[in-house]
Amino acid sequence: MTTTLWSWTTSLLQVVIVGVGSLILIGFMAKVKARAEGRVGSPVTQPLRDVRKLLRKERLHAHHSSLVLPFAPMIITATAVVAVWISPLVGTHPVMVSGADIFVIVYLLLTGSVAAALAGLDAATAFGGMGSSRAMTIGALAEPALLVGVIALAIQSGSSNLAVIVASTLHNSDHAFGPVHLFALGALVIVVIAETGRIPVDNPATHLELTMVHEAMILEYAGPELALVTLGEAMRLGLLFSLVANLFFPWGVATSSSAAALALGVAALVAKLLVLALVVALIEVRSAKLRLFRLPELLAGAFALSVLAIVMGLVTR
Amino acid sequence: MLLVTIVAIPLFMTLVTALNPWRAWIGRLSAAANVAVLILGAWLGVQTMSGARVAAARLLRADSLSAVMVLVIAAVAVLATSFSAHTMGREIDAGATTRRHARQYLLWLQVFISAMLIAVLSANLGVVWVCVEATTIATTFLVSHRRTSGAFEASWKYVIICSVGIALAFLGTVLIYYAQLHAGAGSTSLNWTSLMAVARQLNPAVTRLGFAFVVLGYGTKVGLVPMHSWLPDAHSQAPAPVSALMSGVLLSVAFYALLRFRAVAELALGPSFPRTVLLIVGVASLVVATAALIAQRDLKRMLAYSSIEHMGLMAIGAAVGSPLAVAAVLLHILGHGVTKAVLFLSAGEIYTLEGSTEISELSGLLTRRPALGSVFGVGLVSLLALPPFSLFVSELTMFRAEVDAGLAWVVALSLACLAVIFASVLRHGRHVLLGARERATPADSRGRATIAVLVVALVLVAGLGLSSWPLSPLLWHAAHLVTP
Amino acid sequence: MNAAYVAALQVGAGVVLFCAVMTLWRRGVRTIVSLLGVQGLALGAVALVLGLHERNAALLASGGLVVILKGVVIPGVLLRASRLDPLSRETRPLVNVPASLVAAAVLIVLSYVSSARLTSLAPSVATRLVPLGVATILVGYFMLVTRRRAVSKIVGLILVDNGIALVAYLLTSGVPFVVEMGSSIDVLLVVVVLQFLLLSMRRHSDVDALTERRELHD
Repeated sequence: MTTTLWSWTTSLLQVVIVGVGSLILIGFMAKVKARAEGRVGSPVTQPLRDVRKLLRKERLHAHHSSLVLPFAPMIITATAVVAVWISPLVGTHPVMVSGADIFVIVYLLLTGSVAAALAGLDAATAFGGMGSSRAMTIGALAEPALLVGVIALAIQSGSSNLAVIVASTLHNSDHAFGPVHLFALGALVIVVIAETGRIPVDNPATHLELTMVHEAMILEYAGPELALVTLGEAMRLGLLFSLVANLFFPWGVATSSSAAALALGVAALVAKLLVLALVVALIEVRSAKLRLFRLPELLAGAFALSVLAIVMGLVTR
Repeated sequence: MLLVTIVAIPLFMTLVTALNPWRAWIGRLSAAANVAVLILGAWLGVQTMSGARVAAARLLRADSLSAVMVLVIAAVAVLATSFSAHTMGREIDAGATTRRHARQYLLWLQVFISAMLIAVLSANLGVVWVCVEATTIATTFLVSHRRTSGAFEASWKYVIICSVGIALAFLGTVLIYYAQLHAGAGSTSLNWTSLMAVARQLNPAVTRLGFAFVVLGYGTKVGLVPMHSWLPDAHSQAPAPVSALMSGVLLSVAFYALLRFRAVAELALGPSFPRTVLLIVGVASLVVATAALIAQRDLKRMLAYSSIEHMGLMAIGAAVGSPLAVAAVLLHILGHGVTKAVLFLSAGEIYTLEGSTEISELSGLLTRRPALGSVFGVGLVSLLALPPFSLFVSELTMFRAEVDAGLAWVVALSLACLAVIFASVLRHGRHVLLGARERATPADSRGRATIAVLVVALVLVAGLGLSSWPLSPLLWHAAHLVTP
Repeated sequence: MNAAYVAALQVGAGVVLFCAVMTLWRRGVRTIVSLLGVQGLALGAVALVLGLHERNAALLASGGLVVILKGVVIPGVLLRASRLDPLSRETRPLVNVPASLVAAAVLIVLSYVSSARLTSLAPSVATRLVPLGVATILVGYFMLVTRRRAVSKIVGLILVDNGIALVAYLLTSGVPFVVEMGSSIDVLLVVVVLQFLLLSMRRHSDVDALTERRELHD
């Protein structure tokens, strides 16, 4: 098929898979955790049902809130969709792939985080402000680690464009198992856990004041807006997981414009996401949530690992 | 054969000490062994004037510089071991230490002396490093001999700081070896002779880095600022013979390593970089020691800071790098080694007889114990570099060499510091020695013998000051070896 | 150039530095000492890989010695010392853990920048990895200075030694075997000495009070 058709198909497939699939992914992680703890747990499609339920409810806005409250969920979801649209998840040539630069993706995600934090502040409640400040602290520590880690990969591949990195890792398999990738993988796994709000950084199932970070920010949302926020957050998780999967284990990504390659790309992406979700869920089961003031240690460690990855990349060129 | 004998004697003594429990005759035997080493060292000095001696499959090598070091090590070792025999017996009788601890003390003392002798007689700069590290280990056990909390604190600080320093010296040695491997002359051993042969082709950047690390590293063992903080604690907490050996000789053995590396660096980098580096640490040591000596409260710490001062003066002399300066530095090593040993040993006697070395608690030593007091007083006179002692000659010569090299400002600074030190030490000495006290019970025959030994040592230093014959040809020959 | 040789060398050197950074991160003394053991094994592996590549028997022997001494014996000695205090954790370092890790990152970058002259004298796969050794030295020195517990300080000292050994292997394919043996034995004896001091001090009173004592001063 022609390149334009191929690109559009790739991007659409990505949005659909990550959009719907992330919700299923979250349900899958909850199921794994439940099984590991000896429970049956809710079905894997539960988050989909939750979103459908929320869409049917009425819109409620807090009394003192402003335009930020209804707009923030749209920004969160929109930035996530754009990022998924242009990232090399199923194939290496989605639409506008030249814009799939590290900095673009990271700052798209950052825009979403800032929107969520502002929404938390907007309702003028104590919980919201507290959640926003904690989330921004974690973000401030995790962003440098994320950027530096991916820059390490960029130095090895010669470009900061994600599609180029994925393609170059595909071509040089010795890079894929080299020390640069190992250290960057370690750093990015920690950062992804921090950005998506999983244990040991944040408990997604808690509503205790002492331990809430992310849940506190979105406490004031109800109905369709909560559904949009849930979808947006799920897409961010799906995007981050897919990026980690494709940057470090790019095999199966579609590089040629044939239907077979695309099908393989979809299957590979789904498989990698499931494996990564399984790993993260098992990490969640085995660890306890860290106390808030121990988080800088973890994230500083991720930062040190990223710097290590960069220097390894420089000395092994 | 000669070299092997010189090395074998202390090793044999180590074996004897290790295999036997504490006996008084072992201590006396070790003192006799060191006298033998001294005599052999003198003969070695004569031999090396006509060229270097190599032995033991080229692992050992002695030139006139090594002979000078052997002389000073053996001389101070004689003093220290004869005192050790005496003081250990006394401490065992008084119940201050056990036979087991005394035996360990003597064993580590022998290891210490052996390591120093092998260091100055080794051909390979890496083996020099291994031996200097070995002395750190041996002296740690010795410094903590008294097993008080002060001794433990001092030995902990000592071993940590000196281990880091020694590690840096190893890094510097490795860097210079790396430069040697790529100097394109095909020689691949760390021997000093092969290093000197290719020195002009060494890569300047790498050699600069390596020399800086060597100065930092070996400078820690020499006690140069800023790595000197272990010195006052370790030298004051150790038993007196150990302090004598450490202050008198160990600092100089590390300085010997610095001299060897300086020669290589001067050939590779030109005179200015080594001169600058050594000047910085030398002047800093002199100034810091001067400041610290003003308000000292303990005799042994005062002597330790005086060692830092003299090492600073020697570093400045080495910085000049002319044969006159280095010959003066070598004379200074000899004079300072023996003088410091005499002073530390008499301080040890003071501690045993008076019970303390705090300056405030001592007074009227000249009237209480005239022999010991006069030995200590004359020792202080020698330390302050007054004529007729050899330190006067060596310092004057160093100043002359510095003026010749255009470093008159350094001479002015040194004279100012020396004036302050003179006043401080004089004040402390006056407090200790003068005053009205009644005479204490006269010393027994063993005490008289020890005082006699110290007097002989002081006479030798004075003799050396009056005329440096027969040592001056040896010193000149050695100086020309490390001033290319 | 054998790809396996290159990869093994790079991973080995990387693991050495990685262990150094992890010792700054983790707090439990037993964890830190185990990391030291892993680092010793990696260091020995680097020497063995170099020895196999250059067919240098002395280097192979040296690598084996390092594996045994620095990978097994020295951590064992330290574990015995820390067994006196089994739950010991570094709880109040002079510089807190996140700041130490950021400082480690800075030190790693610094060592890369400053080692350029060393690599440029004789560029090769091995000498290009020298910044990793220099970084280990700096991280070890940092740990020595900023940690309060005695065992942590000893670990810092051994990190400095390991870093210097790595630099020696990478730059000069080790030093003459006599020197290598002497150096390894010296490191072992330093650890033994420190162990002896710790035990003696412990009999006297609390160890860390002694390592932080400031009673001897002017």
